[in-house]
Amino acid sequence: MSSTDVKSRLESFNCYYFDKDVTQKFISFLMKKGDVIAPHKTGELSYKYEIVSDATEVVLNYSRTILPLKKAFMPPRETLINFNIKNNQYTKPQISTEPKIFFGIHSYEMQSIKRLDYSFITGLPESNYLTRRENCKFIGVAYKPDEWHFAGSVGIDINETDGFCLYFYPAKNGYIVFEITDEGKNLLDEFGEGSEVTDEYLKLNEDKFQAKIKFHHNRIPEIFTHVYNSKVWEDVAQKCVGCGTCNLLCSTCYCYDVHDEIELDVENGQRDRFWDGCMLNKFAEVAGGENFRDNLGSRNRHRLYRKFKYITNQSDKLHCVGCGRCSRYCPANISLVEIVNDLIDDYTKQQQKEIL
Amino acid sequence: MENLIFEKKDLYNPIISTITNVEQLTDTEKRFEIALPENQILNHKPGQFVQVSIFGFGEAPISISSSPTKSPLFDLTVRNAGRLTDKMHRLTVGSQLGVRGPFGNGFEVNNFKGKDILFVCGGIGLAPTKSLIDYVLANRNDFGRVVILYGTKSPSEILFSDEIEKWKKDKSVELEISIDRPDENWKGKVGVITTLIPPLKLDVANTIATIVGPPVMYKFVLMALKGKRVPDENIYLSLERRMKCGVGKCGHCQINDTYVCQDGPVFHYPRVKELKEAV
Amino acid sequence: MSKPKIAFFDFTSCEGCQLNKLNLENDLLDLLELVDIVEFREAMDDKADEYDIAFIEGSISTPTCITRIHDIRRRTKILVALGACAVQGGINAIKNQHSADWVKETVYGEDKYLFPSIPVQPISAVVKVDYEVRGCPMSTPEFLHVLKSLILNRKPEIFDHAVCVECKLKENECVLDKGMFCLGPITRAGCDAICPTFGQYCTGCRGVVSNINKNGAVEMLKQHGFSTKEALNRMKMFCTLELE
Repeated sequence: MSSTDVKSRLESFNCYYFDKDVTQKFISFLMKKGDVIAPHKTGELSYKYEIVSDATEVVLNYSRTILPLKKAFMPPRETLINFNIKNNQYTKPQISTEPKIFFGIHSYEMQSIKRLDYSFITGLPESNYLTRRENCKFIGVAYKPDEWHFAGSVGIDINETDGFCLYFYPAKNGYIVFEITDEGKNLLDEFGEGSEVTDEYLKLNEDKFQAKIKFHHNRIPEIFTHVYNSKVWEDVAQKCVGCGTCNLLCSTCYCYDVHDEIELDVENGQRDRFWDGCMLNKFAEVAGGENFRDNLGSRNRHRLYRKFKYITNQSDKLHCVGCGRCSRYCPANISLVEIVNDLIDDYTKQQQKEIL
Repeated sequence: MENLIFEKKDLYNPIISTITNVEQLTDTEKRFEIALPENQILNHKPGQFVQVSIFGFGEAPISISSSPTKSPLFDLTVRNAGRLTDKMHRLTVGSQLGVRGPFGNGFEVNNFKGKDILFVCGGIGLAPTKSLIDYVLANRNDFGRVVILYGTKSPSEILFSDEIEKWKKDKSVELEISIDRPDENWKGKVGVITTLIPPLKLDVANTIATIVGPPVMYKFVLMALKGKRVPDENIYLSLERRMKCGVGKCGHCQINDTYVCQDGPVFHYPRVKELKEAV
Repeated sequence: MSKPKIAFFDFTSCEGCQLNKLNLENDLLDLLELVDIVEFREAMDDKADEYDIAFIEGSISTPTCITRIHDIRRRTKILVALGACAVQGGINAIKNQHSADWVKETVYGEDKYLFPSIPVQPISAVVKVDYEVRGCPMSTPEFLHVLKSLILNRKPEIFDHAVCVECKLKENECVLDKGMFCLGPITRAGCDAICPTFGQYCTGCRGVVSNINKNGAVEMLKQHGFSTKEALNRMKMFCTLELE
């Protein structure tokens, strides 16, 4: 869908005007319905999703959170079972299905959850993830792309409302709140506040992405069928230190490792899973010590192929949502957009050679 | 999400099972016979694996070395090589362990019916192959020739010596063993497993070849089979990866777009040729 | 193993790792339930002849160290190196970057001939080390993990990935982002990113991850405003020998 389509669709939704006070009152209203999870400031430059305890602490004009929303459905560390070594018995911890409302979510983030849904449902549907996904509502907010966002290049418009029940769009001293679904409409009806939107407020800007992939997103998987042996991977390997930050902060990565830990009584313990990453040293090592991706070039390649080709072949969607976290937080300043553009250049050169 | 219908599953709960027999096969390998509770049947295919766990020691993928015809009991042949397997080697009859699975695709035995079968097994690779060999021998009339090639580093590493004795006596089985580093008592063939292939007389069009062994072995065996003009479509390989979950999620066993734990560990060779980083 | 006999020994070090154990407080009492501590100079006078587990703190820096560590190795079933000095030579190994004579002169002056001193080596350069607990001081949770594992007779789980992993799992604001120096991207995890969590930078005390991209790391730090010289100097603070 092009931006103009998204804009006209957005304008077709019923909407209200919330000033800042009403917005905070609305958050407090939501807090009576369940846990509200929203972006908060952490440190000087960063944001993170936290359960709201005070509506005034919610930050809606944020760039991106450090950890993606996947942490709500697949926690960084999670106990799979609690066990007792002596009697060989175990229990699976209860996972709460209490209602959760995610407030102030960007469109790329919402789409990352759709990608994760695919990954956890496909094959054997996993109860840990899917139980946490029950009873969730998502309320979106528009964002102003910074130099790292590139969601437009992977086909996700800033104002994509798919997945949201309500969508907040910044306006003078407040927000225009769009009713995306009946669920959203019911919330607004029950809340009962907000005023009519006058033309003065309804000005939807066309925010532009600064970071861009050169080719249309439909063509990205095609590129990846031709660049497996590209020199670009060696170039990336020169700069990359293999710290794994790009994997861990990726909103669609879900690889994990599992370990048993034991209590000091050396009798009780738990089997924990925690986030792992294909960029890390030992990820592809097998029992005999052989490592099938033993260098940073092949590891970077695997990471990008998972985003643009491997899962895409099956799901028909790019599994990169353009949040820009991998590039924003890479200590070596490696940019995913630059890698893809370099691959595109390489591919174009290859093609020109073939024509000549 | 709301409109998706699926049955979500507790994928990580092991079934607490009991060891009913332990047999020391070599210095480093033991065979464990396992019973699921209440005579449950594992319902596996030759070539599949289970995730074995011992609380406090973690979990590891282990291939099933017995044929489904042995049900309800099944065998796991385990080399003492890691945290879990080291503990497993200290377990005795009556000890309990956790089992999840079976996982993976296993061998498509129906496609093998009526064919000659060439089993190429390197080292511990005989363990998963044995589930298929046992199955074929239990249904002997469904198959043509049975040729087993087995290579290990030293004579002391030869697995399943009881079965090997039986195979030697069985007129319907052709068995060749080669040892890499023989000792003074070894009277058989010497050399890597690939040296066993050139002398074979095969009706290649009607022969299915299976290859299971350590990662380094595959390339050379494939070259030797190519030398014999065995068609690629007749070759199956079982690949080893470090599966952490067995259910296509954790990512550790992924080769390109393929999860070995789901689409493997048994692969048709034409598929493996498309994959990079596979062998 | 029933109540293993454990002993602690210190070589060239500040003894901070051993003190760190005394700081275990609540866990210390539980710990004493599990093991029999037979030798621990920091806390007791008892001595024993044989041990199930010997924990070694400090590096090898004199000929006497070598004799002593061989003796301990003979008397223990399992030997665990504790802390940066024991595992990778640590700060002590900085002296290897200079001429032995200059070092002795600077430290002991005219009396330098009275002190036999050899280039610093990690314990593993002299005897077989079964397990390592890294860090300066060593990480106490990791120490407990290793101890519990050994009591259970299992191999401890030791990580070979960067501190960044643990730092991200804790959702800390990136230290490099704040303009500070940090070796988190190339330093071995296992400390739960304790320094960045408390607003400090990672000094690399746990040593570098294996297969480190050293040039990449220097370039990375350059991009954050640190010269090659400064980057290498800081990397060598704990890792002289690992970066050789």
